[in-house]
Amino acid sequence: MNDSKATYLSFTEICLQTGAAEATVIEIVEQGIVEPTGAGADEWLFSPAMLIVTKKAVRLHLDLDMDWAGIALAIELLDEVAQLRERNRYLERRLSRLVDL
Amino acid sequence: MDFKDYYKILGIDSDDDKKTIKTAYRKLARKYHPDVSDHHDTENQFKEVTEAYEVLKDVTKRAEYDEICQYGGAQQEFNPPPGWQPSDSASDASGSRHQDDFSDFFSSVFSAKGGPQARGFKSGQSFGQRGQDVETDLAIFLEDTLSEGSKTISYHLPHHDNQGHVTNVNKTLNVKIPPGITDGERIRLKGQGAQGVGSGASGDLYLKIRLVPHSLFDVEGHNLIITLPIAPWEAALGGKVTLPTLMGNIQLTIPANSQSGQRLRIKGKGLPGKQLQGDLYAVLKVVMPTSSNESVKEQWQQLADLAPFDPRADWSDAS
Repeated sequence: MNDSKATYLSFTEICLQTGAAEATVIEIVEQGIVEPTGAGADEWLFSPAMLIVTKKAVRLHLDLDMDWAGIALAIELLDEVAQLRERNRYLERRLSRLVDL
Repeated sequence: MDFKDYYKILGIDSDDDKKTIKTAYRKLARKYHPDVSDHHDTENQFKEVTEAYEVLKDVTKRAEYDEICQYGGAQQEFNPPPGWQPSDSASDASGSRHQDDFSDFFSSVFSAKGGPQARGFKSGQSFGQRGQDVETDLAIFLEDTLSEGSKTISYHLPHHDNQGHVTNVNKTLNVKIPPGITDGERIRLKGQGAQGVGSGASGDLYLKIRLVPHSLFDVEGHNLIITLPIAPWEAALGGKVTLPTLMGNIQLTIPANSQSGQRLRIKGKGLPGKQLQGDLYAVLKVVMPTSSNESVKEQWQQLADLAPFDPRADWSDAS
């Protein structure tokens, strides 16, 4: 069974699980790609969703040779695309209940 | 094993220069990168493109590859030339996270270590290696979000044997679903990912919640929407109808002179939220009967003659 205390990850855990150097994770936070709670690196707590985004940022950096500002923009846009797709799916489903498509 | 035509994979000619190769690679890498692509399952295409670039960007490896091609390797079925010693030029290709996943063809030509090795099993790292994290979707029904419950999930875990070979093992787990969970939310299950190597800890399991679309209810945040078909006379005169909710049927009063598309709020019958309980909205849809008899037609005619109603009154300004 899952334990709610294990939900959040520390700075050390994030580095370990993404395989990224501490400086890389700090860069990702400073770019605002993820926003952990807590005042400094020692107190940072990352949600599981933040871990997934951090992993994605590290992959994009390695695989596509992108700089961090570009990655921040790409992740923001990808997120927006995902939200718009979800909204579109929702509206299509709603519309199909009201009219014949 | 199959021969890999790296030039064809990158869509370039065998005499193209480094700059052309780089541009071709970058375009394809952006197209197929699993984090960016619109399509599912582009990971294999991405790996193939990366593998091709890994070889063609490097003068030594490219020369070795061209030699293989000249020997006649460019047939579907590939066997290394007699006496061919795989070079270890792959080992200096650090930085590419995908090298561990490259094809048998790549390994037979470039790797002295023989066979693709599992990610995380690079030499010198074999002791105390943390197990891989595993991500998977968990589909749950709307009804499952109402109260705390548990769900049994089954997923695949990569298992590394002593030789570094990877096999998939099946694992079953009972997962607690907290009430009020939303679509897209992630649950972390510590230590339920792949087993670590040596003294390394196990990885974690990350579940992404996917709410299964319901035949009656649509989800908007914590609110639920149901489309409620009503007869024209129910819309005109009002009345009581039986309305299904996730918590069972209720009686809903339709006000007189209701319109198609009008939303009626039923407080507290939505999904549970972290702070607030969501509401249910019934969206009215006035539906005409598909057939009518003479007597009904007569009644409609009387109504048409009596009711001073022009549904297109707004159009008169425009025409």
